Amino acid sequence: MSAPQINVSDVASLARLTLTPEETAKFSSQIGQILSHMDSLKQIETGNVPEVTPPAHPNLRQDEPTPSLSLQAALSNAPAQANDLIVVPKIVE
Amino acid sequence: MSLAHESIATLRRRLAAKEIHSRDLVRDLLQQIDAREKTIHAYTHLDREAALAAAEKSDPSLPLGGIPIAIKDNLNVLGDPCTCASKILEGYKAPYDATAIARLRQAGAVFLGRTNMDEFAMGSSTENSALGITRNPWDSTRIPGGSSGGSAAAVGGRIALAALGSDTGGSIRQPAALCGCVGLKPTYGRISRYGLVAFASSLDQIGPLTRTVEDSALLLSALAGHDPRDNTTDLRKPESFLAKPDGSVKGLRVGIPKEYFIPGMDTETEAAVRQSAEWFKKNGATLVDVSLPHTPSAIAVYYILATAEASANLARFDGVRYGRRATDPRDVLDLYHRTRSEGFGPEVKRRIILGTFVLSAGYTDAYYRQAQKVRGLIRQDFENAFASCDLLLTPTSPEPAFKLGDRTQDPLKMYLADVFTISVNLAGNPAVSLPCGFTKSNLPIGLQLIGPRFGEEKILQAGHSYEQAHDWHQRLPPA
Amino acid sequence: MSSSSKWEAVIGLEVHVQVRTRTKMFCGCVNQYGDAQNTHLCPVCLGLPGSLPVPNEEAIRKTILSGLMLGCQIAPVARFDRKNYFYPDMPKNYQISQYDDPLCAGGGVTLDPFLFPKEIQETEEAKAGRKIRLVRIHLEEDVAKSFHFEDRSGIDFNRAGTPLMEIVSEADLRTPGEAFSFLGSLRQILLAGNVSDADMEKGQMRCDVNVSVRPLGQKEYGTKVELKNLNSISGVRRALTYEIARQIAACEKGEAIAHETRRWDDEAGATFTMRTKEKAHDYRYFPEPDLLPVRTDQGLLDSARTLVPELPSELQTRLIRDFGVTPYQASVLTADRILCGYYEKAAAGTKNKALVANWILNDFLSTQPDPTTTPVRPEYFGELADLVAGGAINSAQAKKVFTELMAHPTSPKDLVKKLGLEQISDTSALSAYCDEAIAANPRSVEDYKAGKMNAINALKGFVMKKSQGKANPAQVDEILRTKLSS
Repeated sequence: MSAPQINVSDVASLARLTLTPEETAKFSSQIGQILSHMDSLKQIETGNVPEVTPPAHPNLRQDEPTPSLSLQAALSNAPAQANDLIVVPKIVE
Repeated sequence: MSLAHESIATLRRRLAAKEIHSRDLVRDLLQQIDAREKTIHAYTHLDREAALAAAEKSDPSLPLGGIPIAIKDNLNVLGDPCTCASKILEGYKAPYDATAIARLRQAGAVFLGRTNMDEFAMGSSTENSALGITRNPWDSTRIPGGSSGGSAAAVGGRIALAALGSDTGGSIRQPAALCGCVGLKPTYGRISRYGLVAFASSLDQIGPLTRTVEDSALLLSALAGHDPRDNTTDLRKPESFLAKPDGSVKGLRVGIPKEYFIPGMDTETEAAVRQSAEWFKKNGATLVDVSLPHTPSAIAVYYILATAEASANLARFDGVRYGRRATDPRDVLDLYHRTRSEGFGPEVKRRIILGTFVLSAGYTDAYYRQAQKVRGLIRQDFENAFASCDLLLTPTSPEPAFKLGDRTQDPLKMYLADVFTISVNLAGNPAVSLPCGFTKSNLPIGLQLIGPRFGEEKILQAGHSYEQAHDWHQRLPPA
Repeated sequence: MSSSSKWEAVIGLEVHVQVRTRTKMFCGCVNQYGDAQNTHLCPVCLGLPGSLPVPNEEAIRKTILSGLMLGCQIAPVARFDRKNYFYPDMPKNYQISQYDDPLCAGGGVTLDPFLFPKEIQETEEAKAGRKIRLVRIHLEEDVAKSFHFEDRSGIDFNRAGTPLMEIVSEADLRTPGEAFSFLGSLRQILLAGNVSDADMEKGQMRCDVNVSVRPLGQKEYGTKVELKNLNSISGVRRALTYEIARQIAACEKGEAIAHETRRWDDEAGATFTMRTKEKAHDYRYFPEPDLLPVRTDQGLLDSARTLVPELPSELQTRLIRDFGVTPYQASVLTADRILCGYYEKAAAGTKNKALVANWILNDFLSTQPDPTTTPVRPEYFGELADLVAGGAINSAQAKKVFTELMAHPTSPKDLVKKLGLEQISDTSALSAYCDEAIAANPRSVEDYKAGKMNAINALKGFVMKKSQGKANPAQVDEILRTKLSS
């Protein structure tokens, strides 16, 4: 079966991952195998699958405030903060 | 008998009667841990002082008052680490309780330890943990299963009374089978996922790992029920899941799906499971041959949908708001790339890339949308089967625990080990794995009972009857 | 500008509007602008591991309301989707939005002539009253706010998770003026429904523009350029004016227009290519698995329907028809519902509603009042109008009363007495004045009898002066003419 040629580096980039050349090679082959296995799905006739009807109660939330985290708790895990802001390298448009 | 070997059901009564105190229980467990944890390595974190302090304050009049429970390391417990066995969550301290945790607190439970897992619940052997491997308590050269390997090894190894795990494609049931304990995956929507670090949102469920089916029902009662913080939870009020502890299986229609008895599966496993089916028949149940024809597609469907959802769920781990951040990032892009590349293990990266791919432009119809449609067919298979039976009986795993290191170079082979558990997650049905025998080399074999959606009571009743008629659950692992 | 008549601009707008609710879109944190940074956060809007979204019913209701006001079809089942991309202001690095099944589809915005820029309100373009079609309205969550410093950036997540409506227009707009009116007209409708304050300068309404040019008469579209960084409605107009001219100039030189995103720099007065960071975004949309589809059942629809206000166009029509105000006056009142309410109360008690409008919109407004707290009760205007209509005072006197009314707000009837301004309508008294006038102005009398009709004005003036302005001018006129013709 013809699995698509996945460009692992490009896809990794979309996911903000940098792979070593070894990883790229290994993943390309492993993922290629996995995709070949998945190609069997294309043969399946799916014409008569019933649409799952949404439940009558979508469990919406009333517009009432609930307690927030304290500033301290919210920033407690921040790797970098200053003046109550979470700090990151300069964002360039 | 050590307190640690008793069931929760028994211990509750004794605690309530003030025969014993929770601190005795915790101390006993800590002793067991001291004796065996070095080998097993089920725990990633163990705060003895905190557990003993909680035991002191516990209230035995509550449904789980004073009962110590181990927590899989992907559930948020206020003030505790929550690593998901990943480097990327180093240093993270949960600022909130998962709903499941809050409910256990409300029920009076005491938390004793956080358990090891495959990183971000991605794996079937707990070999993908960044915090070291866990060993099967029945044979330390073998895997405990995954991803809730730590929870299963602790309960099966008698160094925890009970534990919480999570199950996305079998991650509670498969390790429970391999470690000789009971593992329940409830119906999707039964237990709130709020506070469970998400792997695949439409598949994940929290569930208990225990020594007995009755204990499983007890925990399920405490955990189940609609949560306004989780839009996918069902409005059904939780009931007593083991109303008739002395119920018989007479008249039960037990379906045997032919796709779950495949050539090449372990012969001892097949024999044990077939024998269990025979027990049901001998006791008045009817065995019904059924077919779940789309079973062979399940692995492909699962790995497309689960990795797609996971690729989005794990995008939040970027070093900005919490967790590990790469040192001295040049710019934001560098921050993302290095944080994530350094922080995630290879299996996680592999699945993120796969998931990103199946969603990407040009491929989403062929892979993602097609998989969703086939998922619908799988769901339909189960609904059709339950028209003629009350529950399904299958093996949990095609084989007993394999050797550590056996599959780590072959991810596809590893994925294929999930074949009996995965469809259940895709359909959203409940299923429980319980011990049904041992191999000649004393490795546990698990029996899976699958119920219709919201039919936990059916499978727990049947499982309990089976369990009480056998003594598999009482066999202890080697010292 | 002769070259531009060979070309046509094709403009579409994508407008993001913050919905006014008490809490955020997917969690119960307070939705409030301007509070201390990072104090309205929870696991959900901070994107902590394990958090889950739950939709805000009020945000959905207000989006349905917007759809009803704008004539959209409301989807029987609406769904949420994940839009995946990485950015530091994104807590989850995906945004929960709507892709395949938005809440609203279709609909349109009619361009209000009075919401065109003032200097072109009298043109055909403004008076055309074109209806701009909408593609859809959907609901999503807003991102956090970043602050940029010399060598780093800081992020305040308070805004993250605010409910945001995205309103997409068809490419029906043709001029910068139309875009200006579109935004103003849309904003006015949203204000009327209490959906949003939609103030662009506060970031409550944001606008991205897609613009291309093509030779007049051509069916195919030209290459589309997206414009960003538009911070005010007039900024949108300026940016479009510049960009359209830029594109036309390029086309006339035979240059290709790059399909790109350009940034408007208001100070420089020009658009610039944005740094191309990567290829076009692949958002990898897929249905949000953490959220159930929303069935817009009868209960939800009805609860939105009860909130539909009188639309600006309906109000304007009613004011012109029932109150006799001018279209311009109607537009002023429609733009300020509180003032309008004040006016309607003022005009309620009198038939002279148009006169009341004049006073309120000219004289009263110039005192910059707050209609909700002013001691000048609206009923006073009605009373004053009736005094004039009934002949108790004339319009010159009314002006005096008005001035006094502003300074010492009380019943105009009392003021008339206080100022001793009762108009004299008594025929014998007026007759006496007229006799006096005739006696004192023989030259004017001669001129009038000689045929100079205007000479009567001097006599009238004499009467008004003698009567301290209180004489009823119409009666004086009649009496004088009668006396002079004999």
